[in-house]
Amino acid sequence: MERVKTRLTTRPPGYRYKQGNNKHMKILIVEDEPKVGKALSEGLKANGDEITLAQTGEDGFFLASSQSFDLIVLDVMLPGRTGIEVLKTLRKQGLGIPVLLLTAKDSIEDRVLGLDAGADDYLVKPFAFPELRARMRALLRRGKTESIASLKLGSLEMDLTTRLVTRDAKPIELTVREFELLEFLLRNKGRVVSREMLARDVWKESNRATPLDNVIDVHIARLRRKVDDEFEPKLVRTIRGVGFMLSEVER
Amino acid sequence: MTGFRTTLRTRLTLFYVFLLSVVLVLYAVSTSIFVWQGLLREMDQSLDRDLETVENLVTLMPDGSIAVNTGDQEGILLLEIWSENGALLYQSGDLKGQMLGPPVKPDDPSHPPNRSVRLANGMRVRVMTLPHKLNNQSVVVRLGVSETALREEFGRMVLALALGLPIALIFVGVTGYFVALRALRPLDSMARRAKQINAEHLNERLELENPDDELGLLGTAFNQTLARLEHSFEQLKQFTADASHELRTPLTAMRSVGEVALQNGGDTRYHHDVIGSMLEEVNRLTHLVDSLLILARADSGRVPLQRSEVGLLELATESAVLLEVLAEEKKQSLEIEGDESLTITGDRLILRQALVAIIHNAVKYSPSQGSIRVRVGSENGDALVEIQDSGPGIAPEHRAKVFERFYRVDKARTRDEGGSGLGLSIADWGVRAHGGLIELECKQPGCTFRIRLPRNGSTSVSSEK
Repeated sequence: MERVKTRLTTRPPGYRYKQGNNKHMKILIVEDEPKVGKALSEGLKANGDEITLAQTGEDGFFLASSQSFDLIVLDVMLPGRTGIEVLKTLRKQGLGIPVLLLTAKDSIEDRVLGLDAGADDYLVKPFAFPELRARMRALLRRGKTESIASLKLGSLEMDLTTRLVTRDAKPIELTVREFELLEFLLRNKGRVVSREMLARDVWKESNRATPLDNVIDVHIARLRRKVDDEFEPKLVRTIRGVGFMLSEVER
Repeated sequence: MTGFRTTLRTRLTLFYVFLLSVVLVLYAVSTSIFVWQGLLREMDQSLDRDLETVENLVTLMPDGSIAVNTGDQEGILLLEIWSENGALLYQSGDLKGQMLGPPVKPDDPSHPPNRSVRLANGMRVRVMTLPHKLNNQSVVVRLGVSETALREEFGRMVLALALGLPIALIFVGVTGYFVALRALRPLDSMARRAKQINAEHLNERLELENPDDELGLLGTAFNQTLARLEHSFEQLKQFTADASHELRTPLTAMRSVGEVALQNGGDTRYHHDVIGSMLEEVNRLTHLVDSLLILARADSGRVPLQRSEVGLLELATESAVLLEVLAEEKKQSLEIEGDESLTITGDRLILRQALVAIIHNAVKYSPSQGSIRVRVGSENGDALVEIQDSGPGIAPEHRAKVFERFYRVDKARTRDEGGSGLGLSIADWGVRAHGGLIELECKQPGCTFRIRLPRNGSTSVSSEK
């Protein structure tokens, strides 16, 4: 597999703490909508990954079977051959690399159809870009076990065994939910997490229609009070319109 | 009228006429048979009397021949006298040599006693045959009488019946047709009127002459259907207007924010701010579209319930805990109590969605320091979840409408505070999908949303609003 050197130029310091595979990825995106395709490839390129964009199912299938990729992001509704058909054929040929399906259909039957065809994960449009990144990371990390005893950002430390949180060595009292929220933010430090990701991963809420945005905002405000109010620099940052990020520097 | 055979009044008339003709023909035939037999019986009786008279006129001459004194006899005499062994002893002159039937058989002289025969000249005659003693000599007397008068009388009667029958049928047909025409005329006018009622004139109704007769009931049912249709149409119109407003508002915001930013230029920070603001609108639209899709799927009736045993108190607690922080922020008290063992068979996710929507609503509309109480219990075999808020209450004219899509009691209270305006609609659908209903009861202050669910999960709840 051909790999290019990891770029470490314009990214904020938080990225250095990225867990799992830190190497440069080769990703195939199959998406017929030009704007979405362009946004995805630019967004992922900024992350330092090498992106190949295919606009039809045929192109995607040709590229996937002739080159090697680390991950395929596959749209379901494609002109000509649908993503599901492409995926089935690829799997029949014995291609085992992770595939993330993108679709506007979110009924249970559609999910089952996609997963049965051999997809590793499933993302419903419209999705938040940070969420796509998080899912891709999760797919690439798959199978690699993590055994981290503590998480750390600047002077903020979280001991996962004793469940003790300190800032500047001063202990911070957190509720269970606040602890889980902070843990998720710490595990994704330097990366933006959307409210959808928090709802799904921290609140374990599978239903997108559940009105959790206000609830999440209140929890973030409380966490910020405990973690940031008496300390510098501020760590909990709100990225307007997208979500939140734990970072020592402003982006 | 669309065709002669197809209109109801024609079919009704034809049916009357057919039924009446069957009845009349049966009547005429049986009457004729009865009358004919009566006439024959009368004739036989008079023949019997005539025979006695004739017997007195017959004398046996010493030479063995027979003489009949016909002197004062009126009309024609048709008489034969036969010997016991079958020889013709006398035949009256009026017979002109024609026989009154076949010769008398020696062994069975009197058989048959009475019968109708046809003479050689075509005359129909009723004949009576009787054995007779004439000076110790046995003879057989055969007397006939013409049936002509009787047959003419009978024929006249049959003719009268045959002529009267079609006249009666024509009369019944014509009257029946007009009676049917008259009875069904309201139907015609109803049909004409119904044709004029279309989507633009759904507020019109059929005029009913008598709401209690069959046609009136039909008309009433039709009018009720129209009323429901009109209501649905109004709702749809309102929904379309509301939905386009709700969808256009974030789109307008995104557009103007973007356009102004492009025009102004500005630094990166400003651009971040603009993009963030646009993304906020995108989130709003995303939530709105998600909710609309849930309702669209609900409307199509294709949402299968993933039923399982659901503990209601546990579910209510879970929903309340989820929203607890919002109540805490407003310093509201959120209390939950009830029967821990109460379970129903239902779709956990859909029920939870309904509970979250209603509790969220309660938190939103209760003032600071207010209280929200959630109670789980049962009544008449139904499971109940009551959510009582301490909000300003809902005026009676708004109560029925709070479950309508995009309906907001306070029109000024939009978007930021009011949410999408679809939460309660989704809750209402979710509860209905389980055969339940949501009752709304308001006192001053505060409203109680009472979710009523059937315990066995399949049938509807007992009380309907």
